[in-house]
Amino acid sequence: MSDPFTLYTARESALHRLHPLTTLSLVAFLFVLSLVLPGVWAPYLLYGAVLLPLALAGGIPGRFLRLSLQAVLPFAISLFLIQGFFWGEGTPILDVGPLSLKSEGLAFAARSTGRILAIVGSFLLLSFTTRPDALMIALSQRGVNDKIAYIMLTTIQIVPRFQAKANAILDAQRSRGLETEGRLGQRLRALLPLVQPLVLGSILDMEERAIALEVRAFGRRGAKTSLAELADTGRQRLARRLLVLAAAAAAAGRLALVFF
Amino acid sequence: METMQKDFKTMTWVMIPVAIAINIVVGQIIFALKVPLYLDSIGTVLVAVLAGPWAGALTGLLSNLVWGLSGLNVTYAPFAAVGAIIGLVAGLFAEVGWFKMWWKSVLGGVITGLIAALISAPISAYVFGGVTGSGTDVVTAMFRGIGFGILPASFAQGVSSDPLDKAITFIVVYLILRALPLRFLDRFPRGTGAR
Amino acid sequence: MIEIDDFSFRYPRAEVEALAGIDFTVPAGQLCAVAGANGAGKSTLCYALTGFIPHFYHGDFSGSVRVDGRDVLAEEIAALAGTVGLVFSKPFNQITGARFTVREEIAFGLENLGLPRPEMVERIDEALAVTGLVDLAGRSPYALSGGQQQRLAIASVLAMKPQVLVLDEPTSQLDPVGTREIFALLRRLVGDGETAVVVCTHELEWAAVYADRLLILDRGRLAADGAPVDLLAAAGLVDHGLRPTRYTEAARLAVEQGLAPSGRPLPVTLEQAREFFR
Repeated sequence: MSDPFTLYTARESALHRLHPLTTLSLVAFLFVLSLVLPGVWAPYLLYGAVLLPLALAGGIPGRFLRLSLQAVLPFAISLFLIQGFFWGEGTPILDVGPLSLKSEGLAFAARSTGRILAIVGSFLLLSFTTRPDALMIALSQRGVNDKIAYIMLTTIQIVPRFQAKANAILDAQRSRGLETEGRLGQRLRALLPLVQPLVLGSILDMEERAIALEVRAFGRRGAKTSLAELADTGRQRLARRLLVLAAAAAAAGRLALVFF
Repeated sequence: METMQKDFKTMTWVMIPVAIAINIVVGQIIFALKVPLYLDSIGTVLVAVLAGPWAGALTGLLSNLVWGLSGLNVTYAPFAAVGAIIGLVAGLFAEVGWFKMWWKSVLGGVITGLIAALISAPISAYVFGGVTGSGTDVVTAMFRGIGFGILPASFAQGVSSDPLDKAITFIVVYLILRALPLRFLDRFPRGTGAR
Repeated sequence: MIEIDDFSFRYPRAEVEALAGIDFTVPAGQLCAVAGANGAGKSTLCYALTGFIPHFYHGDFSGSVRVDGRDVLAEEIAALAGTVGLVFSKPFNQITGARFTVREEIAFGLENLGLPRPEMVERIDEALAVTGLVDLAGRSPYALSGGQQQRLAIASVLAMKPQVLVLDEPTSQLDPVGTREIFALLRRLVGDGETAVVVCTHELEWAAVYADRLLILDRGRLAADGAPVDLLAAAGLVDHGLRPTRYTEAARLAVEQGLAPSGRPLPVTLEQAREFFR
């Protein structure tokens, strides 16, 4: 059986031991900061001086760095090429044939790349260090509808099975000589016989799965409890409040800068 | 409120994770086959038709979040609102019966694609500097080259791909609805009149 | 415990009734097996006893179904959870998917019932012990074999302490060892004298060994009701689309070939066959 569709990596670290909502608040704060920090270099600083050390503390610096760069690189290439060379009115600093590289465009590309890097970094930090089930249970305990937890947790367990099923169907089609490479039309034609069994097969199982859930009182209204106990501390509760306030203040500050 | 309660039955809750998995896996296959489309909202649209616009919206929203948090496509998470809008709009088209005829499905898909492009553009422009990091950025480059701003160029890029993508998505869902046994459609809040 | 009175049901778009005039009661402490050919109405009966008919599968119905004194046809499914339990054949579809370990999977139903944590822990430990899953408590439900998953499905329902447990071909995907384990488990379960168990099955041999009583369904009607051994040895069994057990068939063949004296009742179980061929 393949692992759930999640990045969570078990480690003995202070970051892993945090209450999931503390990590969530921290990441939300960093996410807002990534969006609102002014200037070109601030997001890089956020990534290098905050996110990367946190990933190091969480015991996952290598994969964190690799996945961040993997996600950001295509954007960076597009940004520097497109906004660098096609920046309407600007100060040319280098001519390449009919095109010229504009310094304003480069600055914009650098700023955007930094922002993407910081955003990607904050999401990755959450995914790497927070058990998805703990996060969902924590949210349910705070009044988020428990059906949301059901959806998120079931999804990450279903996806790997679907991936395996899809690969099996693809292989079967290839062995029957159906083209999955070659011209675009051919590749598109390979699609329907693939999607159909995948979708229809799973849809027919859903009836039984719904009944099984009903048997387990899934549809019962009223208070629900949970087996899992999440360790929490007064200091973490305070930290969460402060982080949420800080995030709100940062967002408000940025809006004030825009409007006044 | 009462219709919402009717739409969110256990069948709906069971269908949503399956739909998200369909989104993700078909999206990955499309990417692997190097087809220049996304087709990553077939599940979202299916839920929208069978369980209404709000269930569709929830599917689209959570789909992007799961995908983003999986680390596979981290940059999808900020587009969760777009996923939600696609589900919502598809559900509204289903409500007025546009999935009963193939050409209305295509038209509904095109309109949904335009709306998706409209919502994605500001997110893409503000968060991602107006690029997608994929082949479709050629379109963005072209429009930047003829003097479009970042936001309009990003919107133009969306218009060049989203309507076609969603039209194909809608027609796939139209075909799926026809392939499902009636007995099965009956199980869903809005399945009985869906086709 | 179960009182079903002149109950009939017809699925939408269907021309004939799936169940017609079904009438029987099952007291607490009884293990009642239900046999019948495919399409005889076994699954429909299971759904009717647990409220999924008419609340999940709609259709035309008449008569009454009462479980533990409660009107199943009138109450919501959500309100019946905890009173009636249902297990069906595919283990895979009964795993919620929303929990990562066997222990948490069993807890799922208890969490929904809103039980306090100490009681949950107690019930989970009990269900794990009864179903022999103690050593697997920390595993992922998806890492279990089919037989183990089926025992997990039963454990998950048992932990909710239903007064009535209904099983729809719970062993059809299991090997003989797994099948025997499930039947032995059901036998132990009714031993407390408080639970009624109805199990629809094709495993007539095991029904004969373990069940107190056998009902035979034939095209939606209750065709026979009695002691399993009597019904299974009766000549009329084949008329209801059922095959006698291999022991009965072997004995009949032996009598026909003159290898065994005629005039004695035919064996149904291994035990009886041993006696017969001695």
